[in-house]
Amino acid sequence: MTKHIVLCDDEIAILRAAEYKLTAAGFDVRCAGNGEDAWREIERRLPDLVVTDLQMPQLDGFGLCRRIRENPLTRHLPVIMLTAKGCELSAAESTEKYGLAKLMIKPFSPRELLRTVEQILNGPLPASDAPTRLKDCGSPTVAQLTTDN
Amino acid sequence: MLVLRGVAQPGWLRFFSPDRTQRWHPARPDPLELSSPMPGSSPARPLSLQPADIRSKLLGGLAAALSFACLGLWLAVMVLPVSGLPAATAWAIGPGMALAGVCAWRWNRCLIQNQRQAIRFFDELSRRDPHDAGVTADAARATLPSGSPWYPIANRFAERCRLLAERGQDVEQSRAALEIRLRRNAVRQRQTDAILANLGEPVIAINSFDEVVLINDAARRLFEISEESIVGQPIVRAIPCEKVAALLIDARRRGAPAQRTAEVEWIDSTGVSKWFGAMARSLSADDRPAADEQRSLGAFVALRDIAEIKTGQKRYAEFVSAVSHEMKSPLTGIKAYVELLADCDPSDSAAREEFLGVIDSQANRLQRLIDNLLNIARIEAGVVEVSKQSISLHELLGEALEIVRPSADAKRIRLLSELSPMYLSVLADRDMLMQVAINLLSNAIKYTPEQGSVTLRSRMADEEVEFEIADTGVGLSAEDRVKVFEKFYRVKKDRGMAQGTGLGLPLAKHIVEDVHGGRITVESVAGGGSVFRVSLPAVAQLVS
Repeated sequence: MTKHIVLCDDEIAILRAAEYKLTAAGFDVRCAGNGEDAWREIERRLPDLVVTDLQMPQLDGFGLCRRIRENPLTRHLPVIMLTAKGCELSAAESTEKYGLAKLMIKPFSPRELLRTVEQILNGPLPASDAPTRLKDCGSPTVAQLTTDN
Repeated sequence: MLVLRGVAQPGWLRFFSPDRTQRWHPARPDPLELSSPMPGSSPARPLSLQPADIRSKLLGGLAAALSFACLGLWLAVMVLPVSGLPAATAWAIGPGMALAGVCAWRWNRCLIQNQRQAIRFFDELSRRDPHDAGVTADAARATLPSGSPWYPIANRFAERCRLLAERGQDVEQSRAALEIRLRRNAVRQRQTDAILANLGEPVIAINSFDEVVLINDAARRLFEISEESIVGQPIVRAIPCEKVAALLIDARRRGAPAQRTAEVEWIDSTGVSKWFGAMARSLSADDRPAADEQRSLGAFVALRDIAEIKTGQKRYAEFVSAVSHEMKSPLTGIKAYVELLADCDPSDSAAREEFLGVIDSQANRLQRLIDNLLNIARIEAGVVEVSKQSISLHELLGEALEIVRPSADAKRIRLLSELSPMYLSVLADRDMLMQVAINLLSNAIKYTPEQGSVTLRSRMADEEVEFEIADTGVGLSAEDRVKVFEKFYRVKKDRGMAQGTGLGLPLAKHIVEDVHGGRITVESVAGGGSVFRVSLPAVAQLVS
């Protein structure tokens, strides 16, 4: 069964890279440019995992985590946070305080992200079903996000 | 009685002058009374033989001689004839006795003469200035004839007086020098007290028993100490700041010549926090370390307000954090796409091309960030050489317009020019002012949606030259208008519109205001476009 992931980052290039890697691995990926948009996607269809950046406009990563934890329907969702503010946040404190499944420090490796996602979700789809190009990815895509903004 | 070796006064003569002892030594006179006339003092009564003394001595001598003669005569007339002694012997005794009487009388006269010499000597001593004892003794000695039995004694006395006089002069000089030094020290002490009292920095000193010996007004104000009798109290009780007290005691105990420093936070009674840099040092009696208790004089501490330094450190830390964060974004993109490039299908040329394009744009972004950072840092540090000259604003703005035209055309944004027909001249560094114009025009184009417009205007206004860039873009909220000139600040909701480093406007502000003495302002309404205005002094105004 295809696992669904919501990706959230205001940096288009990083969003593209993560989306490409996860889509290539067989995951169904939906993208959001900020926390509010990510929450709307989560409400629209409950994902299996959320990957979010910390510093974003409108609603940042911690705000999104708080909403996820406060809602009984989403409380169990595993969240991976990507951030460049590594030195100011202790990994243990962040995971305990915000219930993060993993805190990844930028610059991160897409391979490592995929490995972490697979560890949390216990395996992707077979490789033959995976799209190979960004334009073949599911919606909403990064391209759609750019148009909407 | 004046008793001198070899010239002892015959005791039986006292019968002829019973008051002699009092006359010779009138009731142990006060030496001050015997001194020569000192300024303002009454002359002392000189020592001398009184006429009564002389008469009594002469009469005494004469009586002695007559007595001898009478006795001799009586012996010769009355006793010797019946004694059976020969007549010649009897007649020899009389004259012999008479001669003895004469000798006795002569001896008496010698005694009187000696005493007169002694009196003259001591009288001369007493008449002169006792401070000049050497000269006084010499002068007194000069009153004695060289054959006088008093002469050796007077000689020795004069020598001793001279030595005493020299020592007295030395003592006097030392006393005068000490007095001068004491006065100088008193003046210095008053100066030091005044300096300490007026020092803006709090200063506290303790002695070797950790008791307060000095606390200036600034320290009293800082620690809100109104008690006057704080000097002498143990430092741990005297001031409410334990850290400063501990620093003082530690410095005193260590006795090392090097100073100890610490940052101390003090929260006053109103809850306001203040940061101080405390410098404590031990005091010793000499230059050697005061580890020895005997040489330790205590310790002192001076507190320096480091609020500005702390703020600067905080800003620097925030700046470094912001810079590193901003740099990580393009770096993340580069690293991620290099990995994707490595993992993608080699035959997928479209994907490879896309990835390489992203890597290139992210690298350019990083380059721009570093360039802007360097520019700002160098301009702020004054390292960049500023070359100001009188330039035509019209020409410069026209050139900037043409530089940004391609990016405006790409978004189908109308680029309008309403430059003043007047010749507007500014004294400016051409490259820097061009950077400002390009930054403002680029921003306007970035944050204006497609088919919007950006207008460039210039004018002369109140002895200032102005140019402004007005756009029909997304505008700025009140909060964003205040922060938009801060380093790395980018309006959150508009970040998706365009890439930027957040350094363009801070750089423009620094160039206009700090380098050229102008002003840069913004008028904007969220959703209603913005007008960025630059005002610079006109060349005529600068010359006048």
